[in-house]
Amino acid sequence: MIRRRKRMLEDLDRDIREHIELEVQDNIDRGMSPEDARYAALRKFGNATRVKEETRAVWTFVWLEQLLQDFRLALRSLRRNPGFAFTAVLILALGIAANVIVFGVLDAVFRSLNLPHPEQVMTLQPKDGVPFLSHPQMRDVRDGNTVFSAVAAFRPIDFGMEAKGVTRSAWGTVVSGQYFEVVGIKPFLGRLLERADDDHPGASDAAVISWAEWKNNFGADPDVVGTTIRINKHPYTIVGVAPEGFDGTEKFGAASVFVPMANQASLEGLDWLESRSYHGTFSLVRIKDGISPTQAQAELNTIAARIAREHPKDEDGLALKLTRPGFLGDYFGSPVRGFLSGVMVLAGIVLLAACANLGGLFAARTADRTREIAIRMSIGSSRWRVVRQILVEAVVIALCGGAIACVLAWITLSGLATWHPPAQLPIRFPVTPEPSLIVIALAISLAAGFVFGVMPLRQIFKTDPNDAIKSGGIQFSAGRRWAFRDLLLAAQIALCCVTVTAAFVSLRGLQKSLTLDLGFNPQYSLRTEFNLSKAGYRNDAATDQLQRQLLENVSQIPGVEAAGYSHTTPLDLAGTTVSIFPPDSNDLRPSQKAFASYSYRVSPGYLAASETRLLAGRDVSFTDTKETQRVAIVNQEFARRLFHSEHVVGRYFKTGNGVPIEVVGVMADGKHDTLSEDPRPALLLPISQYASTQTVLIVRTYRDTAEMVAAIRGAIRDLDPAIPIDESGPWNSQLALTLFPSQVAAVALGLFGAFGLLLSIAGTFGLASYTVSKRQHELSIRLALGAQARGILSVALGRMMVLLGIGSLAGITLGVAASRLLSIIVYQASAQDPFVLAAVVLTTVLTGLISVAGPVRRVLHVDPAKLLREQ
Amino acid sequence: MSTREQKERIELLQGTLDLLILRTLVRGPVHGHDIVKAIQFDSDEVLTVEQGSLYPALHRLIKRGWISAEEGTSQNNRRAKFYKLTAKGRRQLTIETSKWDRLAGAIARILRPSEQESK
Repeated sequence: MIRRRKRMLEDLDRDIREHIELEVQDNIDRGMSPEDARYAALRKFGNATRVKEETRAVWTFVWLEQLLQDFRLALRSLRRNPGFAFTAVLILALGIAANVIVFGVLDAVFRSLNLPHPEQVMTLQPKDGVPFLSHPQMRDVRDGNTVFSAVAAFRPIDFGMEAKGVTRSAWGTVVSGQYFEVVGIKPFLGRLLERADDDHPGASDAAVISWAEWKNNFGADPDVVGTTIRINKHPYTIVGVAPEGFDGTEKFGAASVFVPMANQASLEGLDWLESRSYHGTFSLVRIKDGISPTQAQAELNTIAARIAREHPKDEDGLALKLTRPGFLGDYFGSPVRGFLSGVMVLAGIVLLAACANLGGLFAARTADRTREIAIRMSIGSSRWRVVRQILVEAVVIALCGGAIACVLAWITLSGLATWHPPAQLPIRFPVTPEPSLIVIALAISLAAGFVFGVMPLRQIFKTDPNDAIKSGGIQFSAGRRWAFRDLLLAAQIALCCVTVTAAFVSLRGLQKSLTLDLGFNPQYSLRTEFNLSKAGYRNDAATDQLQRQLLENVSQIPGVEAAGYSHTTPLDLAGTTVSIFPPDSNDLRPSQKAFASYSYRVSPGYLAASETRLLAGRDVSFTDTKETQRVAIVNQEFARRLFHSEHVVGRYFKTGNGVPIEVVGVMADGKHDTLSEDPRPALLLPISQYASTQTVLIVRTYRDTAEMVAAIRGAIRDLDPAIPIDESGPWNSQLALTLFPSQVAAVALGLFGAFGLLLSIAGTFGLASYTVSKRQHELSIRLALGAQARGILSVALGRMMVLLGIGSLAGITLGVAASRLLSIIVYQASAQDPFVLAAVVLTTVLTGLISVAGPVRRVLHVDPAKLLREQ
Repeated sequence: MSTREQKERIELLQGTLDLLILRTLVRGPVHGHDIVKAIQFDSDEVLTVEQGSLYPALHRLIKRGWISAEEGTSQNNRRAKFYKLTAKGRRQLTIETSKWDRLAGAIARILRPSEQESK
């Protein structure tokens, strides 16, 4: 077949020549002159090249051959225009990379946990929003259901772990007996924790370590099973290693050791296993095969109602909802997903703007090539062939861009996956790039290529070869009417303005949040955190003794302005709340509370050390003991909410245990959970009345940080060398985690904004210089006829200015509207901020000026004589 | 070629060129130019063959195996390709001819119903 084809085609030329010769002969026979005869024959035969092409088409996959030709031609023409090619590829690469990266992160977030049958694994979320359950609640659900194959509770705990003679801080998880049944994984070595391990406190000293822990801290020792380690001073035996890739069921957290929940009291110093008021565990359930989530939810409702009925005092109004696990229950789930979806939209907008931009460039280029296209069509090329050529060129650019984007996205995502934020929490970003992203990138780039490739199509179909060749490719009419590419430019400027506005709004929000009144002052203060339970202390006199001694010793260090301690500090993510009741209330069920207030157990001096302003009354004192009247310092919001007054010193309120507490002081409002929160009620309780082994020492000093940190560590070591210090350093840098989400948001949006700016400069500049170069001839004539510079400018670039104006206005309006969404994530991100508006407008104007400055200069320096000579 | 002449001539219907080529080749091997001349002559100069479409048509027929090509010498004493009918092509010609007859008959019945009745 192929040989036959080759022979047939080889002879075709000769055949056609012979055919024409015979026709000539016939014509001569009819009496024509030889010359006329030849012309007549040629005319009659028609376009020989085209006949040959069509005949070849019978035998070959012509479209494939032509496609290859088109590719070669596209590469050649791009190589001839390296500037254009480089700009186009770069713009696209950035646009596609942004999309692939955001998509990669989204994919990682939405992906189910890496467990067998992950769709059956859910978490129970109480309806009031906080994802914590009490241990008895979990037990009631576990023992009273028919729809779950296993129900478990777990709680991440910061352990002091001693192995091979070294004590380190390690994130661990206490898990109830069925935890690994819910998870459903097989151990890598040894065994996992079982129901018997969790039977009663002290039932087992078994611990399971994660694969990463085994690899990094146990030297991948194959005989690790049986090794004894000490967790918070208690001996444990490693019974197994979890499989690679399993480090707990939190998406953004990594646990390195798992121990039975029954032993929690000995590890934490506080026994909450039987407490219905202590809500401190996350839940994890596995739905039985064949049970639908709706069925499971229905039974869960019945169980919750039963629990509420049986324990009206603690569980009144209980409702449990099945949700997806992985985000501290589902606590962070919807904000994270919401923000990422928003960013995805923004990335889409950026890509769309990039496409509009390239579409404009392509349309301009096609207009430049009108003559070439006209010639190709008049010698027999079909319009489709010309269109395909343009499309192939667009796709080649898009694919180059896509390839570079893949590399960029890969580097970014891998970097993100191995990066650890500067905080004590074991945060990780499981966003390792998947090969499927390449397919996504390919799809995006092909789509983008087509989107901007088809933009010049109308132009090609309109092209009349006759006109185009006559007017030499310069269509004056095109300069008069609004062309499609003008619309594109306006649209693109509008889209870019959206990203710029978003960027400014979030940057402004970030800047505000950095200068925000937190209610305390993290500047010039050092924060040292440790938990005495890790050194075997309980909530008793020894703890109190040690804490007071430490405070005394630290206060003696030269350079210490003030010092105090608390069991936790604001913005720490580990905040605790208590239910507040009016003093005359006797119904102390949780549902009857006035509100929940943040509570801090503090020592005397904490107020001064943290620079929390005391507005009225007195500081707590060590003379407030368990034998004296219970007292508290409340903040303004607390006073307003409970007493509707700011003069509340001497008044009383109750907490869940019914003991009246006297207000002895009022402090200023501040931030407790997030920077974006409204004022919330908070109170300080004397730690001498409410003991805690969890200790955060705040030291205010103007001395050198490193020296001071060493001195404080020394003071703690002198008292008890077994205390592992979790965290010590400037309070400022430890707050980084709280600022982290808005910082990430601001950086991401800032990048998008910068990219949007770049795009709009490139687009405007490209089109402005194109307009000027197209009309240079006309402008020279105007100039030669005595037109003024101003007139010339308005003729040449007036329309560009109108477009810029319209586009910017539309974009800013859209951006302001969209920015309302941003204020959810970025604190104080208000688009109504005059500063933001001014900045956006200024940036837009500057951008416009920068991008048309070049073309304007060219217009003003047109030399009519020279140009007219050239023509 | 005058305009009047052109009006009298009829362009070939889509697909009929293949049939006419097959019919022309029944007489024996012919080369391309003669095929055009034969079709025009046999139709009393009513049908014109677009010369450009001849060669693609010939190659299409070769590919289907209905005709084959062999080397020969033209009237000008030059080497040329002569096309001839294959056995498969001969069968195809019968099929195509009967198809055409039915088509032509059907169209005639639609266009001239009264004449059909009068017969």
